[in-house]
Amino acid sequence: MTKRLEPHIAIETQDLGRSFKTYSKSEGILASLRGFWDRKYEERVALAPTNLRIESGQIIGLVGANGAGKTTFLKLLSGLIHPSSGTAQVLGYSPWERKPEFLSQIALLLGQKNQLWWDLSPMDSFALLTEIYDKDAALSRKRLAMLAEILACGHVLKTQLRRLSLGERMKMEIIGALLHEPKILFLDEPTIGLDIVAQTSIRNFLVEYVKLQGPTVILTSHYMDDIAMLADRLLLISKGQFVYDGTVDSFVAKTEQKQKISFSLAAPLDQDFQINPQIFLKAGEQEFSFSVLGHELPPALAKVAAFPQVHNIRIEEVDFEDVIHSFLEKESRVLSPGHSESP
Amino acid sequence: MRLARLRFTLQKYLRLYFAFFRASFVADLEFRANFITRIITDVIWYAAQIFTFEVLFLHTNKLGDWNVDQTRVFLGIVFVVDAFYMIMFHDNLDRMNTSIRKGDLDLLLVKPVSSQFMLSCQRISTAMIGNLGIGTAWLIWSIAQLPDISWLNLLWLLVLLPCGVLAVYCLRFLFSASALIFTQAESVMYLWYQIYRLGLRPDSIYVPWLRFAILTIMPVGFIASVPARAILEPASYGLFAWVLLWTVGLMIFTSWLWRLGLKKYSSASS
Amino acid sequence: MVTSLIEVAVWTGIFRGLQATTLGGFGLDNYLAYAIWGSFVARISVTWNYESRMIEEIESGSINVLLSRPTSFYEYYLFQFFGYKVVTTFISLLVPLTAALWFDLPIFLDRLPLALLLIFYYLILVHTLSFCIATIAFHLNRVHSFTVAKNLSLWLLSGELIPLDLLPDFWRGILLNLPFANAVYIPVGYITGRGDIALLQQGFLTTTIGIIFFGLLARLSWQSGIRVYTGTGA
Repeated sequence: MTKRLEPHIAIETQDLGRSFKTYSKSEGILASLRGFWDRKYEERVALAPTNLRIESGQIIGLVGANGAGKTTFLKLLSGLIHPSSGTAQVLGYSPWERKPEFLSQIALLLGQKNQLWWDLSPMDSFALLTEIYDKDAALSRKRLAMLAEILACGHVLKTQLRRLSLGERMKMEIIGALLHEPKILFLDEPTIGLDIVAQTSIRNFLVEYVKLQGPTVILTSHYMDDIAMLADRLLLISKGQFVYDGTVDSFVAKTEQKQKISFSLAAPLDQDFQINPQIFLKAGEQEFSFSVLGHELPPALAKVAAFPQVHNIRIEEVDFEDVIHSFLEKESRVLSPGHSESP
Repeated sequence: MRLARLRFTLQKYLRLYFAFFRASFVADLEFRANFITRIITDVIWYAAQIFTFEVLFLHTNKLGDWNVDQTRVFLGIVFVVDAFYMIMFHDNLDRMNTSIRKGDLDLLLVKPVSSQFMLSCQRISTAMIGNLGIGTAWLIWSIAQLPDISWLNLLWLLVLLPCGVLAVYCLRFLFSASALIFTQAESVMYLWYQIYRLGLRPDSIYVPWLRFAILTIMPVGFIASVPARAILEPASYGLFAWVLLWTVGLMIFTSWLWRLGLKKYSSASS
Repeated sequence: MVTSLIEVAVWTGIFRGLQATTLGGFGLDNYLAYAIWGSFVARISVTWNYESRMIEEIESGSINVLLSRPTSFYEYYLFQFFGYKVVTTFISLLVPLTAALWFDLPIFLDRLPLALLLIFYYLILVHTLSFCIATIAFHLNRVHSFTVAKNLSLWLLSGELIPLDLLPDFWRGILLNLPFANAVYIPVGYITGRGDIALLQQGFLTTTIGIIFFGLLARLSWQSGIRVYTGTGA
């Protein structure tokens, strides 16, 4: 059933939710036997009933810890799985009906998976995709040339996929996903596992592509840089619930970026040492690691550097998961069903 | 209107199949050694089948209902149907389980094309075309040795050959699907091959209940026994109609089962 | 076991279609015995796993590991292979034995020990042949297709498809003089009474010649392979 959406709304969900029944398996023979006719089912909520409206042309950054529900959400919107509750309209279609007219307007990119053939050159795989999407061959070739130029990978179009580097392969997968001019892009971890150069290259491409073609994009990523550079709107999901819906800037402002300092000493510390009012280094230890807020870094670093015979000083950005965790600790506000914020 | 749509869909899928063929051929060219080894392997397999029957006929005039010339025709049909199956479906169905378990199915499901079609037909073993040539040559030669054949016989043969290929496809598909459900891929595949072997011998040699079984529940009898009858014996229209109907029925059943499986998949995956 | 059932169905069918009650001088129950024992013995005399392992080790392994073993590569795998085969043989022996006793098939049980001895002796040849194939991995990729071709050819020559005594004299002579008939026909023919002790003796002889021939070939192939591997010229 297709519902008439307001023209500028590409995606709309009403109480869209998904849970899985798993049965808890106990240890031991007796418990297993008992479990044979008396199964205790647990309901695991992958996505709590959600109401969202996404306008055409918006770039949504969807972030969350592993298992938070990002992929479930994407799979629901792309029609791969059925919801347990609620409805959704994507481009006016109900995704899980999987109508060909709907499917030819969306693209799904799964970061770790290849849709292109391993033994073919990307060029040959693209010819196949052109046929699958029933596109005009000449137009498709023109489009390919344009995309390859922006991604600067035209020189390897005729090389077999398995001979390409990971970054080049990802670029080809992206072209493959965009070849049929989809109106909606679902990008699941597009830069995962790539080196910095490839990541930057792909990010820049996406910025340019979005400017040119104006698709609606939902992008999931572990890398804050992906989101910061591309997304108009940030959705943070935790344990199946959307806990933040706003701009990237206000999210960054709400979370204070911490830095982790680690170092080791040539000899164990002879007495306790204070870095700042919250952080103490214990006597008798040699390896140390602690996190400080951005503005606390210089004085902390100065104190560490003042130690005689200090080695292996490392400064790292705190894991993104920790950023989310600290955000959740600070903000216990949850977006309730029936209430959604759009900037 | 509906007819036009059907025609359009058929044209689209035909074009797509041709695209699969082209892509598979290019991919197969990479492995030139494969062309040769597959031909050698299958030639030995053909030789083994021929060898078995020829030796048996040294000691008898008839095997089941047929003499040596007729049995050779039967074998020719076995080779041709087997070759078509190996070219069109074998690789795809062999990989079905692994690709589903690896999660590759998702990428197929978002395409605006039948997922069953993609899964079953995408990869074509063009390296086996040589075998099809050999099998066809043997078939034509053995038919030429027969004293009398009519055009009607040949026509029926041409109709029933695709039924054989499709019946094998459906059976193999069902076996692969059950291997997925019962996660016993190897044993199920072994069982499949043993049942397939039953179809490699003329159905007339089996006891009545087994013969019935291979023409109904496990229709490996469609592979060669029934098509061979079309050309070796007076037309048995009842039997031929049965084959046609049952093949169509199997295709519908397979398609229904696939859709059911997809529903389960989309309700179960996490 | 399913294979045996299929064989029973096929041979019963073949006899139904005959105009006589014997084929080549033997009745249906003899062929059933042959088929059941034949599929059992065929499983013992074929190797896929161990050959693949040897190939893989040569394709991927370091030469130091290969050369630094106290026992040679050949012996190492021979013991493993043998151990596995002997154990599985005695376990799976129950199936054809039960079938034979249940259906009262013509089996000379007193001949079984010698037949088993021949089979185990033949396994040395099987291993040597596998070893030869594995050494190809020093020179080429994708040796697996050689394994497939080899096993298929042996299948054809072994007598698993059909007892070799049904062949015309000329061909029978050739095949019986090749060692590969020991994979199925000679031991199973002996047990089912299609041949006598002379057949078995011929089997031992041809196997011995085969072991010597392929053994020499294996040695040459290994040495050539090692030379290529260590880059000291070939």
